[in-house]
Amino acid sequence: MAVSGAPAGAIAHTEIAVAVTDGRVLPRLGVEAGRLFDALRLAPPPSARSLSRLHLGNEFCERLIPSPTLLRRAIGVADAAGLALTLATPAVPDQGLAKLRRLFRLLLDGAEVVVNDYGVLRLLAREFPALEPVAGRQLCKMIKDPRLPTEQWARLNPPGLGSPEFEALLGRFGIRRAEVDVPPFARPADLRVGGLALSVHAPFGYAVRGRVCRIGSLRFDGAAKFRSVQACAKECLRWSCRLTRPADRGNRDLDSFQRGNSIFYRHDGNMQQAMWHAAARGWIDRIVLPGDWREPDFGVLTEEDRHADHGPD
Amino acid sequence: MRITAPISRAEEIGPMLAAGADELYFGVVPLGWAERFGVSTVNRRTFGNLEDGDGLRRAVGAIRDGGGEASLALNGQQYTAERLELLLGLAERFAAAGGNAVIVGDMVLLDALDRAGLDLRLHISSIAACRNGEAALFYQDFGAARVVFPRHMTLAEMADVAAAAPELEFEAFVLNDGCLFDEGVCHTIHLPMQLGGPICMDSYELDYRRQDGHAPSASEQAALDANDEAYKRWAWHKFSCGFSTTGDGQPFGPCGLCAIPFLAAHGISTIKIAGRETPTERKLKSLGLVRDTLDRLEGGADPAALADFARSLRAGPGRCAEGYMCYYPEVMHEA
Repeated sequence: MAVSGAPAGAIAHTEIAVAVTDGRVLPRLGVEAGRLFDALRLAPPPSARSLSRLHLGNEFCERLIPSPTLLRRAIGVADAAGLALTLATPAVPDQGLAKLRRLFRLLLDGAEVVVNDYGVLRLLAREFPALEPVAGRQLCKMIKDPRLPTEQWARLNPPGLGSPEFEALLGRFGIRRAEVDVPPFARPADLRVGGLALSVHAPFGYAVRGRVCRIGSLRFDGAAKFRSVQACAKECLRWSCRLTRPADRGNRDLDSFQRGNSIFYRHDGNMQQAMWHAAARGWIDRIVLPGDWREPDFGVLTEEDRHADHGPD
Repeated sequence: MRITAPISRAEEIGPMLAAGADELYFGVVPLGWAERFGVSTVNRRTFGNLEDGDGLRRAVGAIRDGGGEASLALNGQQYTAERLELLLGLAERFAAAGGNAVIVGDMVLLDALDRAGLDLRLHISSIAACRNGEAALFYQDFGAARVVFPRHMTLAEMADVAAAAPELEFEAFVLNDGCLFDEGVCHTIHLPMQLGGPICMDSYELDYRRQDGHAPSASEQAALDANDEAYKRWAWHKFSCGFSTTGDGQPFGPCGLCAIPFLAAHGISTIKIAGRETPTERKLKSLGLVRDTLDRLEGGADPAALADFARSLRAGPGRCAEGYMCYYPEVMHEA
């Protein structure tokens, strides 16, 4: 896939964050953004930039909620590297709320928490008002089907994000920032949301998340597979798979892959351009790059890439 | 315990109430919607909607005259501000006609309906994916009277939520229409079948890689292939066993009949039959399965005997034993 260039000055004022699910990545975390852009085959920034924020946690699976030990370690790593910290959280049952409550107690005042569950938002507002809630991608709903054949399909159900009503509702709970993906056939104006600060995940967007996890069932047999709650071995840290459709159907699809319980797509060149143009206009002030839990690499790997993250022992 | 069941045509109202439904839910495309927005999708169902205007008034009247309650599905994941305007107008007409409840998936619409103060109960759709007690209380703060649990929750999780929010009513799926992913956070479109259909039914080929970039070893690939074959079988069950029926027309597909005693004992007041777009016969057969099971429970049957009865309705225990057709496989697994 061709790398699209960013317009000059596009990210001069755009914060670059790295998202990490697997704690084993933390020791190798650098603060220089360019190498991460290269590894992701994303348009490089026009000038040397540093990462300024660490997103810890996973938005898609309650099994990947970090332990208190890992969170403490991440706080230390972030502090040493001069990075701000954001904790990303998934939708959870009540047992997951209890886990998150323990983590929230460890965060410093002002730390961001990405929420993808209105129950988590209510918990934050009631018990942890000093933390900064951020509306996650699963609250900011929009059509992001990587198979859409034309732009017309993408416009059938425009997103409600950016409406004054939605922003006012989020504002009642102290939300001042939202996170989104770049949808297929995006135009720069699709990434303008009015009164909220906006983070954009790149170069992958999520299309669908499930609770049942195919790869998480790998070690189970028969009726024990594909259950809502599964004591998986976190196979998603080790495996991902490319998804392709027959050419007669899928020759215009965005490159797609499944990681754990979710399907993702890679931005095409036009979508990247839309993102950079939105950044240049100041509509996006943060880009979040995946440090792990991302697309499998089907190309030639450097030795460094090969050891960037690895599966369970 | 009450049964809520779908309709897609006014002609279904009488037969469904006579067959034992307590509540009927349906969708309506607001007047002017298709002309204004160029699309008829309002409530996650393109087809199978009742008419607005006089048709809506007559349908609600017929439901009430038949002793039932009427619920209007306004359960899109999200709407733009200009679409909300038409939906609020529809809700007003529904309330004026004597409708009982609206089923809502979008927070902004819920907030608007709460502030509008219509004489309607607000039910939180499964689309809103309420999975914990705090979320239930969040929706209650916005005027919700009932939460419809999303798919892929365990019975124990539902019990936790119901216990945390005792002032709310709860509703759970017990029959039909599986979803492989989580519909509340599925940001795809059910494309026409010639373009691939729903993404969960599309014909993807899978090419696994370890995160270090290596392809699987032969033994790893064999394990992955076996897992994928099992997943296809699970998906087939979730899609009504290839959209088939038993010899006497009973529907296959996702089922939680044997969990009804647990649901009744843990604060779930309403059980839901899915399938708005299915033919009338399938709706009636589905309702018969649920009504028979619930009648036995309310007649004093013990849970074990009831579970045996429920399994006997599903064309033999084999399908139940595999667990892939179950909304709540833990009932079989733990038994």
